[in-house]
Amino acid sequence: MKFGNLVIAGLVTGSIYAVFAVCVSVWYRVSNILNLAVGDFAMVGALGTDDLVRVRSWPLPAAIVTTLAVVAVFGYVYDRVVLRLAQDGRRRQEGIVITFFFTFALSFFIDGVAKILFGTDVHAAPALWSGGSLTILSGLHAERAGVLVLACALICGSMFWLYIRYTLGGKAMEASGENPLGARIAGIDTRRYRRLVFVGTAVIAAVFGIIESPITGYMYLSGATISLTGFIAAAYGGFRKPGRALLAGLFIGILEALLGGYVSAEYGDTVMYAILAALVLAWPRAMGFGSAVSQ
Amino acid sequence: MTGGPALRVSGLSVAYGDVVAVHDATFSVAAGEACAITGPNGNGKSSILMGIAGLVRRRGGVEIFGDPAPNGDVRWAARHGLTLVPERRQLYPDLSAADNVVLGCYPWTRSMRRARRSGPFSKAIDLFPEMRPHLRQPAGTLSGGQQQMVAIMRGLASDPRILAVDEPCLGLAEAVSRRVYDALASIHAAGTTLIVVEEAPRRALMICGRRVEVRNGVAGAP
Repeated sequence: MKFGNLVIAGLVTGSIYAVFAVCVSVWYRVSNILNLAVGDFAMVGALGTDDLVRVRSWPLPAAIVTTLAVVAVFGYVYDRVVLRLAQDGRRRQEGIVITFFFTFALSFFIDGVAKILFGTDVHAAPALWSGGSLTILSGLHAERAGVLVLACALICGSMFWLYIRYTLGGKAMEASGENPLGARIAGIDTRRYRRLVFVGTAVIAAVFGIIESPITGYMYLSGATISLTGFIAAAYGGFRKPGRALLAGLFIGILEALLGGYVSAEYGDTVMYAILAALVLAWPRAMGFGSAVSQ
Repeated sequence: MTGGPALRVSGLSVAYGDVVAVHDATFSVAAGEACAITGPNGNGKSSILMGIAGLVRRRGGVEIFGDPAPNGDVRWAARHGLTLVPERRQLYPDLSAADNVVLGCYPWTRSMRRARRSGPFSKAIDLFPEMRPHLRQPAGTLSGGQQQMVAIMRGLASDPRILAVDEPCLGLAEAVSRRVYDALASIHAAGTTLIVVEEAPRRALMICGRRVEVRNGVAGAP
């Protein structure tokens, strides 16, 4: 039963990584920029909601809506001001290294503001579905928050899949990523999709931060760790294949839980990163790193 | 429809840094006309077309059915009836051929259902019946000729009043080129104004009533 419980816990963290990996790779497809700040939006979601409820005694629904609205407006303004200046002018800033710093700096900026606003302690948003852990079978348990995370990941994932598969807007978003020039010729506003996906993924990240925080707790630096793992999972999909990024996210989550349970809680992460590095070295092409570098 | 020309180009210049590709081109294309832009490679034919469509920045004026086109905005051209079938096709390689074509409808609708049931979409699909078995295939896996067909189909799905085709036969076999030109002729016969950039004037003149010759970035009558 230990194995089963570890797999369940791994699936929960894995689905978080998967969501973040998909967020990173979808936006990379549209914008050719790696978003390192996606985890920071999760942190803002969790700590912002906590701050409004615990410190300012707001009702929970109002706190959640306000936090998400702030994240959305901030994402919109960031795109309108920073990305527009850097990308849409005559002298476009290009190249994976330069554009990397747009979101790298954004991540530090958000962390700094969060430190001032929320302090340095670990907090969590109030549990949305309170109560003890659920028993699935005798001996198999799942945290309620974990079930919510999984359900939410499923809903987000399938809605996104339906959007890509069946709507003209979804196809246009794909086209913007595959061939921006060809998309503009067909009258598609590639910048609009860049903005839409940036704001959308920021809000999704914040939602997951709110739902997941009762399990792990967040502090102002937590975003970077989540971003990093989501980022690695996205890298396994060559940054351009959300489907693969999703599987890689789940795999990393389960691997992490199993290593933590069977090998060592302390060195589990170290062993995990060693395994991930070894996988990349063994099959760079299969892992999609070839395409990521050539882009 | 207005009585004026479909496209009026006045004093158009395109430069890449210090290199002037097009110098002061002035010509117009009447509604319903088929006009060829010919000349040797590297003399600025494609740059004229890209300047008109707004893909590159330009100096000088471009009017599409009397509306002055803003500089450097290719989406404006697509929404005002001028659709470009660009050099090297610029398809979306991982999307299916059918998805490539249906995205041609984007300038006039956001609804997949409306797009798929529309006249322009079925006209585009019917243009090359031999493409039917390949419509589900990713565009990147099609042969060069098939990709060119998809690019023209995508252009036609936008329901263009002016279709501007850049080097439609570059690198294609003779039989495929003929097929492509047959299709362009049928598009023109259905009333669409046609502009074809072509290195070989003889082929272009099979369907075009008039040509603009470009030499060393200067456009004029041949």
